[in-house]
Formats: sequence, structure tokens, C-alpha cells
Amino acid sequence: MAYPPALKKLVEALARFPGVGPKTAQRLAFFLLSSPREEVVTIARAMVEAKDRLEFCPACGALCEEGDCSYCADARRDRSMLCIVQEPRDVLVIERSGRYRGLYHVLHGALSPLDGIGPEELKIERFINRVRGQSIVEVIIATNPTVEGDATAGYLAGLLKPLRVKVTRIAFGLPVGGDLEYADDLTLNRAFEGRREIL
Amino acid sequence: MFLSQLSLRNFRNYRNQEICFNPDFNIIYGVNGQGKTNLLESIYYLSVNKSFRTNRDIDLANAEGSEFLIKGIFNKGSFSDQLEVNYTQNGQLQLKVNNCKTDRYANISNYPVVIFSPDDLLLIKEGPSIRRKFINLEASRLVTSYLKKLKDYQRVLSQRNYILKDKIGFHRKIELLKPWDQALVFLGTEIIINRVSVLESLKIEATPFFDQMSSSHETLSLDYLSNLTIAGELCDINTDVIREKFFELLLDKREEELRRGLTLQGPHLDEIKISINGSDARRYASQGQMRTAVLAIKMGEVKLFKKLCGHSPLILLDDVFSEFDEVRQENLISFLKDEPGQCFVTTANRPDHIMSLLRKRHAIIKIDRGQASHERDRADH
Repeated sequence: MAYPPALKKLVEALARFPGVGPKTAQRLAFFLLSSPREEVVTIARAMVEAKDRLEFCPACGALCEEGDCSYCADARRDRSMLCIVQEPRDVLVIERSGRYRGLYHVLHGALSPLDGIGPEELKIERFINRVRGQSIVEVIIATNPTVEGDATAGYLAGLLKPLRVKVTRIAFGLPVGGDLEYADDLTLNRAFEGRREIL
Repeated sequence: MFLSQLSLRNFRNYRNQEICFNPDFNIIYGVNGQGKTNLLESIYYLSVNKSFRTNRDIDLANAEGSEFLIKGIFNKGSFSDQLEVNYTQNGQLQLKVNNCKTDRYANISNYPVVIFSPDDLLLIKEGPSIRRKFINLEASRLVTSYLKKLKDYQRVLSQRNYILKDKIGFHRKIELLKPWDQALVFLGTEIIINRVSVLESLKIEATPFFDQMSSSHETLSLDYLSNLTIAGELCDINTDVIREKFFELLLDKREEELRRGLTLQGPHLDEIKISINGSDARRYASQGQMRTAVLAIKMGEVKLFKKLCGHSPLILLDDVFSEFDEVRQENLISFLKDEPGQCFVTTANRPDHIMSLLRKRHAIIKIDRGQASHERDRADH
């Protein structure tokens, strides 16, 4: 098949995106070709700019722009609360909910000896020092409810206990607005385990 | 519930086979090596998504094609479900229920089958791992979420064993083990509790059958053995008590675990003791007693499924009649007669004997070199 070289190059580049196969890549390429030049430039710039400007905050591990962490630097945030998550995108999910106004700590993974991920890889020591150095009252562990996420939560809880901070695990259970009958058994089990008294 | 139709393509020695079944009783007969067991295997695979003879899916494919397809229609009351299993050339397994894709093992509780084949004697003769496999399958089919717990437990085991084998300092190891110890104990405890309850219910169903089948009124017993249990009884059904004991034993074995690089405490090492009149069947039972014990367990399974799932499972009996004396054959037939579940019985001999005992609507299917055909249909409908 005779592709113009520039098109071939573009399709190959786009096909590198996760979840994008050759067909979708070709569709995206033709979309770009049919768009006004300025738009294409804007898209290309946005990619490069994001790559150049975004980094992980050295303190909390969340995404920040040019060393300016919008979570750590925000004076209106509750500095007595710290929420631990596995991935930077988890921060965005929690932010979107708008309920939580404390600080974050991103681990960039969960303990998994099989994958060579231990406490060093997750920089746990630095995290513990962070908790020790600040006046944190409660640490909320919001790692995923998987084998590895739960083990990480257990490990962190063990390290945090001697520091005399309140350690909580985010609740698991029914999706709000859903019907009980549609919940799967495991979720329902967890919901029962995590039930609480109505005050 | 019954299987009304089955299509096989490139499954074992079947090239292209379509066959209808009698809702009550199907006698599958033919000389050895024609594909009788293969037919049962395909039905079993459709239900359990696994073979009872091999763990390698590729073995099930006709050598040339290296892909296979099993399709079956299960009738449940006035509805019917079409199940499809397709093993593709690139070694992937695609499962569908009513043309919707599903995951492997997602439907193992919905279309249950119980098989009894001569190989099942290994359930008593072999080491503990075959009995753990057995209880795992039963619990997976009878307790929702058991399979997920078991998978998680196995994941925890590999994570934990990895640390135990790792070449790092002692104190560091202990530190790293902590979260996995906890996961092992929590998941392990749930698995033990589920297994014990399934085994207890199975025992209740299986013992009367054994009593009836054995001439000298012997008693069959099934007990869960773990060092968390005392004489087959959990020291306490209380989760917290089991967890506490589990932690204690784990601590006791720490040194040995570190030396051997293996997890040495937990349900992955537990055992089910099958005993007849109080003595271990594996060591003391005769061939005949073993056969009767296994059959009683299998028939207990049938009853248990009926009780817990509301419908009778399909019963697959592979070459069973040739192995029993006449009294036991009659006992078995009388059980099957009262059993509303659909039966599939294979035999190498002319089925006249079974037919004369049975006196029930049935179909006779003759198997000849990977071809199945109805010989005579006694179904009076």
C-alpha cells in the first residue's frame, strides 16, 4: 500500500497511544488533516507544553505545573488531613468529587513483591517523614480495594500507628443512587462489614 | 434443567457433530476408544469451563485444527440458554451465553454438572491436593465470591513466597512480610470457613446414600483437616478466634518458612479426610468401598446442588456400571430413577441390562469413531 510518507509517519505516531489501533490512528490522522492548521498547532502545542511543564510534586507526588503544586501550596486546604492514593489520576478523581479538602500523598503504585515493588520503590520512608514533620491528625488510606492495595494499606497503617495519628481506610460499598439488588456479592459483603451506626 | 442440544466442532475426535438429548436419560454406548468419554467431557467443559481429564485446553482440540467449538442449549423451565465455548487458533478461549461474551468460570454455578468416572477413585487414592481441588470446585459453584477469594488468596501466596525466597536481611524480610501475613490470614480464614460449611452440607447428603449402597451398613465420614481444626471440627466458627490461631501458627512456623522459602500455614495445605467406619479410606478401604464412597460423594453433590440452587444438576456417569456388582447397580439405578436431573451414562456393553432396570424414558446414542447417532429413541413424547 502506497501511503504518502508524512501520513504514514503520522499514523504510526498516533498508533502509539494506548487503546489506539491502526484503524483508529488513520481516522485520527484524517481528522487532523481536515482540521484548520491553527487547531492542529494548538493540539500539538498542548501535548508538548503539558510534557514540558508538568511534573510530580516532590512533596506529595501529585501532578503539578513548574514546581507549583496546586494542592500543597493551597492555603485554604485542611493541613491536618492527608489522603494516600496509588496513582496521580486518583487525585483528580477525588478532587472532582469536591468533598475532600485536605492534602494528598501519591504512592505511584502499590506493594507487589512479584513486580519488584517494595517500600523503597514507593518511597514510603519519605512519606512517613512527611507525616512526622507536619501536624497531621488523620491519614485516610484510599489505595485500591485489590490484594495489593489492601496489603499496602495494612503496611502503611502499621507504620503510622506509632506516630499517634488517626489512620482510616476509605469505605467500600454500595454506589450511591444505585439499587441494592444490582450490587455484586463482594461489594455487598464489604458494605456490610463497613456498616455504621446511625447517630 | 436439561441439555437439549449439543454441537461439537474439532473437539477431541469429533469433527462436526450435532446431537439432541433426551431430557431424562441418555445411554451412550459403543466399544472402547470411540469417543464416549469425550462426549461427556464436552458437556462438562461447557458447564465448568475446564476438563476433568486435562488442564491444557489445547489437548481438547482435534490435532489438525488446533481450535474447537462446543455449543449447547440448556432448557430451564420455559426458557433456554445457549452456551458456547470457542477455543481459537491463537490459544484464546471465548465464552458466550446467549451470544453475550462472558468470562471463564463466570457461569459455573448456573448450569451445574456432576461427573462420576473411574478416574474419580483418585479422589480417595491420591494425595491431598486432588481433594483440595475438589472442595475448591464445589465451593466455587456453591458459594458466590469463593472463587474470587481463592484467586486473591493464591495471589497473596505468590507475593508472600516471593518475599520468603528473596535474598534480603532477616529483619527487613519480617518487616515486608507483615502486610502479606495479614492478607493471608484474613483471606485464608474465609476460605476455611466456606470450605468447612460446604463439606458439612455435602457430608449430610452423602452419608445416607453410602449407608444404603454398602451392604454392611458402614458409615462414611468427611472431615476437614487443618491444624486450625481439632478432629475435623473448627475449634470455633468465630472468625476472630480462627484468625488469632492462624496468626499464632504462622509465627510458630516463621523460622521454617524462611529456611524453605515457602508459606507453610494456610488452607492451601489443608486436607479432607474421607473415612469409612472411622478409618482412613485412603489407607484401609478396599477398591469396592472406595468406589462406593466416591459415588456417594458424587450423589451427595447432586442432592446438594438441588437443595442450594433449586434445580438438579446434569449427572454424567462414565463407565460406572461395569465397575459395580449387581446390588450396587440396582441401588444406583433406583437413585437415578428418583432423580429428576438429566442423566448421561456411558457403557461399552449392550445397554439392555441398564434399560431393563431403568424403565424410564430414555434415548440410546451409539458412538462410532467420533460419530454419534440415535439408535432407538424410547422417549414417549
